[in-house]
Amino acid sequence: MSATDPTSPASMHSGTGPALAERVPLVSVEGLRVHFTSKRGVVHAVDGVTLDIGDGETVALVGETGSGKSVTAKSLLRLIPRPPGVIAGGKALFRSKMPCPGCRGAGCVDCGQTGRVGEPCTACAGAGCGVCGQSGRSTVDLLTIPEDELRDIRGNRIAMIFQDPGKALNPALTIRAQIAEVFAEHRSDELVSEAGLDDESGRLLRRAVRNRGRFFERRLGSLPPLRSQRRRVDAVLDGRIVEALADTRIPNPVKIMRSYPHELSGGMKQRVMIAQALACDPDLLIADEPTTALDVTIQARILDLIGELQARRGTSVLYISHDLSLVRGIADRAAVMYAGMLAEVGPAEQIFADPLHPYTRGLLAAIPTPGMGRGRLAAIEGTVPELIDPPPACRFHTRCPHAATACARTDPPLAIRQPPDHRAACLLYDDAAEVGERPEDMPDRSAAS
Amino acid sequence: MQVRDYVARRLMILPLLIVGTSIIVFALSRVGGSPIAIYLSHEMTADEVAEIEERYGVNEPLPVQYLAWAAGALRGDLGWSGVSSAPVRQIFPKKLAASAELAVAAGLVAVALGISLGTFAGARRDRWPDHFARIFSISGASMPVFWFGILLLILFWVILGIAPIGRSDPGVFARIAHPTGVYTIDAILAGDAGALWDAIWHLILPAITLGYGTTAIITRMMRSSLVEELGEDYVDAARAKGLPERIVLRRHARRNALIPTVTVVGLSFGFLLQGTVVVEIIFRYPGLGRWLADAVLRGDRATIMAYVLFTSVLFLLINLIVDVLYAYLDRRVVLGE
Repeated sequence: MSATDPTSPASMHSGTGPALAERVPLVSVEGLRVHFTSKRGVVHAVDGVTLDIGDGETVALVGETGSGKSVTAKSLLRLIPRPPGVIAGGKALFRSKMPCPGCRGAGCVDCGQTGRVGEPCTACAGAGCGVCGQSGRSTVDLLTIPEDELRDIRGNRIAMIFQDPGKALNPALTIRAQIAEVFAEHRSDELVSEAGLDDESGRLLRRAVRNRGRFFERRLGSLPPLRSQRRRVDAVLDGRIVEALADTRIPNPVKIMRSYPHELSGGMKQRVMIAQALACDPDLLIADEPTTALDVTIQARILDLIGELQARRGTSVLYISHDLSLVRGIADRAAVMYAGMLAEVGPAEQIFADPLHPYTRGLLAAIPTPGMGRGRLAAIEGTVPELIDPPPACRFHTRCPHAATACARTDPPLAIRQPPDHRAACLLYDDAAEVGERPEDMPDRSAAS
Repeated sequence: MQVRDYVARRLMILPLLIVGTSIIVFALSRVGGSPIAIYLSHEMTADEVAEIEERYGVNEPLPVQYLAWAAGALRGDLGWSGVSSAPVRQIFPKKLAASAELAVAAGLVAVALGISLGTFAGARRDRWPDHFARIFSISGASMPVFWFGILLLILFWVILGIAPIGRSDPGVFARIAHPTGVYTIDAILAGDAGALWDAIWHLILPAITLGYGTTAIITRMMRSSLVEELGEDYVDAARAKGLPERIVLRRHARRNALIPTVTVVGLSFGFLLQGTVVVEIIFRYPGLGRWLADAVLRGDRATIMAYVLFTSVLFLLINLIVDVLYAYLDRRVVLGE
């Protein structure tokens, strides 16, 4: 960061860096594999997921229960329980952003009004080198960076909201205390300087603001000189919290702040979760089925809210859902997951208009539409296969109407089927020679279209 | 309802509960045999017996007797302790101070050790600290107090000869005044470090014996409820905020795990007082428990009734404290519903 002159935005646009940076995704997941050890063997919950999330983009990760979509999302923040979980392979490259040097976060032409631009790689200052994978942006692998560096990213650059806001808020703490933690953890210096205490603050106060104080320090903190300083910081903190809550259009944020989670409704709790997640203006918001536990009417409002805040701040969203019809309206790109692998990835519109993978087709056929006649809904026959030591085969072949001999012994590659980037993992679209199969064993292409 | 209002309301009900309890205690004392049996001997004539009956009002109807006893109890007169050859009122505070000192020592150690060991084990589930804590607590919960106490006594008193029995060294006892009857506090008041050490030294073995079972129960309870809380979404949410593991554990998981543990802690303080009976006999510790045991063996009703009344009231108070603490920890609890 210090390598670039913050006063001249032009310095960001020299060399090959910016041109590359435009296309560089915020997150590149490459071949992610997550295993769980169990008594019966190793469960391959996520088995080679490759997925990009661009700046400001909404990517929907869709799949049924147990397909590994939540595990994929949680492993980006290394939140899977270990043991029994193991990150068995792959990378999750994350390229964080920083306030735009041209407008200092206010929003200008250079940063597309989002106020944030990619942070240049510290090794090559944006020229593109081995450290940043030629992207010119500062790049870290979320799966391997040390725990304390990851903690700087969690809640700050990547935030997460959970399926059931009633369970994701601590019942014993007030809303204020829970949102305050995010600011205290990632913005303590800002809080101290906003309270005008930069010159007089000592190490003790900073530790207290970050909630690092030990027992005796806390007792010390309640004595006069520190107490008044803490109160000034708390006043600033209160302002920030109210602002964050007000952003989610929650009524009466000052009152909400003093409430306990059980005093709020489900929709309000999810708004609190969103306020908490977006408190530090993250680059990526992971939303793990954020509306599943809510009423249908509240669902729409929460989705609108996420969309609105995302548009304003240029946040990327990874949206996990089992509900294809919900994803349709909000996602730029969609990734369909089945049994730990990606079946199909591409622009959301294309996936809905022209699904390629038989599984996606089955899912779309199962969505009831208004005006549909009475009778049985279309369903995909069979159940998800066990993920304990799976053989190399298409995971869907046991349920696929097009399955042929080759499907049971060859794992189809997730290749581009429709340029530029609509991919599907299905042998229907593969050449027998390329995957090393005999033509007569391949699925019948004529029946598929 | 405000915690303060709730406490006030409970405190107003408390006298009624105490009266009810005292009626039960009195009734029980009249169930088995004559209350004056301890004062009688084979050489007495029928007239002499009648005279004693007259003196103690045993001929009156039971309600009258109850009122006489209750009025005495209110004035602080709980009768004559046969085993101590002194009024109960005089002996009781001394014995209580001794037992309370022991129970509080054991209880504090049990709570501190149980909660920290349970947290330590729960946060390291199925790894060796957890296995160690499991062995430790299962031994504690399954070993009878008298057995464990005797084992300690054999090892530290008989074989090693390093631990004392009784409550105090006679020389030290004579050296300082005992205004409170709690020897550790008396030693601190007297500013006598040697006496303080002597008091603690005498407390250690009985306190360990008495507290082990409670420590074990608190450890297990804390461990299992922490494991349960650590699986909750809000713990992941706390980690997703970027909080360090230490804070996730302390401020988030442990605080919620304490809620079920508090009930156990409260009740176990009552059981600690009961446990003093066995422990005090083993270590020849002159507290309420040993006094009660003597009284029971000799049929000293005044002493027994004082003890039972005291224990009942104590349990009533402990329950109140647990309820209030519960509401403080778990904000979803609505007091008075």
